[in-house]
Amino acid sequence: MPPAIHPIDLVDILRRHRLTPVIIFLTSRRGCDEAIDTFLHTSSGVSASRSEEIRAFLEQFAKDFPSIANHPLIPVVQDYGVAAHHAGHLPSWKIAIEELMRQGLLDAVFATTTLAAGVDFPARTVVVSQSSVRKSQDFTDLTVSEIQQLAGRGGRRGKDFVGFVVVTPSPYIDLHVLGKGLTGQPESIDSQFVVSYPMVLNLLKAHSLDQIEGLLAKSFAQFQLNQRAAIHQNRLDELHEQLQPYGPRECADWVAQWKVFDLARRRKAHRRPAINTDSPYLTACLPFLTPGRLIGLPKGPAIILRHYRSRGMGIPMLSVLHAKGTLGECQAQRVAQIYDQVYEFQPIRSLPWCSPSTLNQFKNVLSQLPARLPILPILENTREPDDSLLSEILTDEFACPTCPSHAACKKDFSVASGLQLKAQQVTKTIQALRDGLWHQFQQKAAVLHKFGYLTARLELTDEGEWARLIRINHSLLITELIRMDAFSGMAPELLAGVMASIAHDDDRPSSYMRLTPGLASMLVQVRQVADALSAYEPAPLLRSDVAAIAERWIGQTQHGWSSLVRSTSMAEGDVYRLLARTLEFLSQVYGLKVTHSGLADAAHQAMVNMRREVLAELP
Amino acid sequence: MNDNDLQRELVSLPIKYLHRFAKGRIHRHFRLGKRRLIDSILALPSDQKLAIAHDLEQLSSIPKKRATESSTAPRQTPLHPRPSSPKKPHPHKPTSPPIGLQDLLEGIGVPEPKPFVPDDWQRKAVEAIAHSDVIVSAPTGSGKTFVATEAIQQAMATNQTVIYTSPLKALSNTKYMEFSQYFGADQVGILTGDRRDNAQAPLLIMTTEILRNILYDATSGDLDLRLHTLGLVILDESQYLADPERGVVWEETLILCPTQTRLLLLSASIGNPQELAEWLISIRPTTSCHLIQHTKRSVPLRGLYLHPTGQLVPLLDSRDIQQQRKGYRFHPETKRLFSEYEFKPYH
Repeated sequence: MPPAIHPIDLVDILRRHRLTPVIIFLTSRRGCDEAIDTFLHTSSGVSASRSEEIRAFLEQFAKDFPSIANHPLIPVVQDYGVAAHHAGHLPSWKIAIEELMRQGLLDAVFATTTLAAGVDFPARTVVVSQSSVRKSQDFTDLTVSEIQQLAGRGGRRGKDFVGFVVVTPSPYIDLHVLGKGLTGQPESIDSQFVVSYPMVLNLLKAHSLDQIEGLLAKSFAQFQLNQRAAIHQNRLDELHEQLQPYGPRECADWVAQWKVFDLARRRKAHRRPAINTDSPYLTACLPFLTPGRLIGLPKGPAIILRHYRSRGMGIPMLSVLHAKGTLGECQAQRVAQIYDQVYEFQPIRSLPWCSPSTLNQFKNVLSQLPARLPILPILENTREPDDSLLSEILTDEFACPTCPSHAACKKDFSVASGLQLKAQQVTKTIQALRDGLWHQFQQKAAVLHKFGYLTARLELTDEGEWARLIRINHSLLITELIRMDAFSGMAPELLAGVMASIAHDDDRPSSYMRLTPGLASMLVQVRQVADALSAYEPAPLLRSDVAAIAERWIGQTQHGWSSLVRSTSMAEGDVYRLLARTLEFLSQVYGLKVTHSGLADAAHQAMVNMRREVLAELP
Repeated sequence: MNDNDLQRELVSLPIKYLHRFAKGRIHRHFRLGKRRLIDSILALPSDQKLAIAHDLEQLSSIPKKRATESSTAPRQTPLHPRPSSPKKPHPHKPTSPPIGLQDLLEGIGVPEPKPFVPDDWQRKAVEAIAHSDVIVSAPTGSGKTFVATEAIQQAMATNQTVIYTSPLKALSNTKYMEFSQYFGADQVGILTGDRRDNAQAPLLIMTTEILRNILYDATSGDLDLRLHTLGLVILDESQYLADPERGVVWEETLILCPTQTRLLLLSASIGNPQELAEWLISIRPTTSCHLIQHTKRSVPLRGLYLHPTGQLVPLLDSRDIQQQRKGYRFHPETKRLFSEYEFKPYH
């Protein structure tokens, strides 16, 4: 969101109060460019002499960096002494602006917060108009360190007595975030150590497993994990102290003993099995309680229409037709008599449970029952169910009932077992903290073994020997592609295109470039491989438009930089960064010249074609 | 309780109670100022307002209850603080009226050019780097580069190789130009993925990734750089150690760094430089490690608030912005103007 105040007013007020030169931090690149555009139609220019100085400087600068000679923003910078500085610009342009600022020739620079990360160019005043930044998809509050980085640009050593931070509101600003950021303590930094595939290969190349374990233990990550482990260790010591009075008694591990005994005593298994709570008599009855059976309930005779189990407790239930002619439900255990009489009928699945004619027929039957009916004899299964725990108790396995410390055990059991459980948990946590990195290493090593870069004894195979030289993101994807000969005989521009799509991890909106059929089919293949590997390594974005940009730059050397930039909607600075990063990836592939000379030659050719015009200006 | 009563009651309450009432009732209530919060509460459906009125009554009955209880249990701490109780005087509360704009704008100007005199902490850092590792944690623009150049000069005087790494290519390029001017172009080299400009120079500039790769190649035998003469490694912007994606590179570099090489870590202000120093000591037992922590800015920084109408007022109620543990207070004028802005966005 742009600040609520107009950029021209903003610069004017600061000029009036002698607060210039100033860096104005805005949220978006577009905001910076638009702010600059507003100056085009005003009269608030700088003096002619200063304008001349700027012109002279830029002219001189363009001798070393020809890419800025015809930069569209030069007139604004010359006439108004203001400039924009963000990642959408070429590095050479940014260097020019920084140098102008250092010489005090500019009044205001509109910049995005990315500037705060390290580039050293101070001003007298810094304007902050936001308290949050966009990170991936969401806005997050600026951290204290970030705010102090921004504010730290205010006040030039040796050129100013005092520096200023000017806060001006924009929508959604939270003043307190800034207040805290300006006066608070910066955040602590935490290790972000992760074990990567190239790291595993390179470590295994030079060190034995024991040494590697030692090296991992030397990481800041492990240092911080150890500190956390130490806190848990203290807790563990405390727990052990609390467990002191519950040491060995008649039996060494009385808590576990008592636990088993207690469970057995309560006839409760360790893990509760699905217990059939039906009594033996009921179990014996159930096979006879079928639809159509005549039964005796406390209220009188009835005919069973349906047999089911209740939803909640799973108790056996019956739907019956009472002698009165009403339908009802009753529990199976309330059945008093089971008569030796079954009426056949066709059950149906909704409420009367039988056809109306059957219902009438049954009513008739019930009203005309004889006084005495034959009763079905139920034979109950008297054998005890198998209960292993119970039998254990019976076979004197537990000394507990007669043990002298029975009473003490009974009293202390709940406290002691609770403490023991906690101690176990803490021990596990400490283990995890101490061994986490080593496990990570072993996991990665296992994957590399699976793919054949390592032998079973974790020595580098021939494949591993060269694969360790690829030390970039998505290294597994690249080495796998090389192993499948996906790049063999490939033209330099195609190789560069594929590398660009692997290297570029920015998800700024697409830039509409035409794809050549060769590159398109190649990218489909790469995508398939990347998806197959996604379980071991997160797949890259593989944007086809950036691949097309790189392919065009490498392949069509007759076209210059401006024609490339005109053909895409990507910002100049983004194109530059894309190509620079692709160059880095290509140089890693070029490092394989000993084992893969053909591929390395293609990479080298691509690098040579890449290094022209703007890309040749800076090392 | 009708709307007017409710409004009056709400106005008299501190804002934290309003947030408590608004929780779960008003979306993103924590973004609202007091007046907008009250408006939003009054715009709620009547049953919600009734519930809030009920809460209000409970809240106001607490002080009375406390008054009756106080005779029996005077030491009992209340569950809820009394909303109407006067706040404790703030430790920073100025006894004099808040400072004005003129005070703040005083002293703008350019100091007379005078010979550069290094600060105490800079001298200490330069002395320490001669015989031990050094971590410098200082705010932006306080002169970390001076420490670097002095350290480089020291090392180069004894024919040692120096490697200077930065996290960004852009920074490497700037430093390359800067150092080329300072030490002479033939003394400085730069290494990137594909280019090696003047790689035999005593001072080499590269990104941290490149140094990491060199160290890996050295440990695995295919040495291609004069690591045995490497006397000093300077890691600029060391706070990148905490970067989610690239932080691991800094750790690898520090772990693999040869033991005879001294390390100079330059970092922006971070919260736990002590921890970093302890770590370095623990992994490099043969060399000691000095922590130089400098929190004071060399040029004092002052805060201003610029209202969209063009009014310029002091931001805080103190003159200079300083790190302070006890919290901060906005200037009353800033508070007033900002609440106006929050309530009625200026378009």
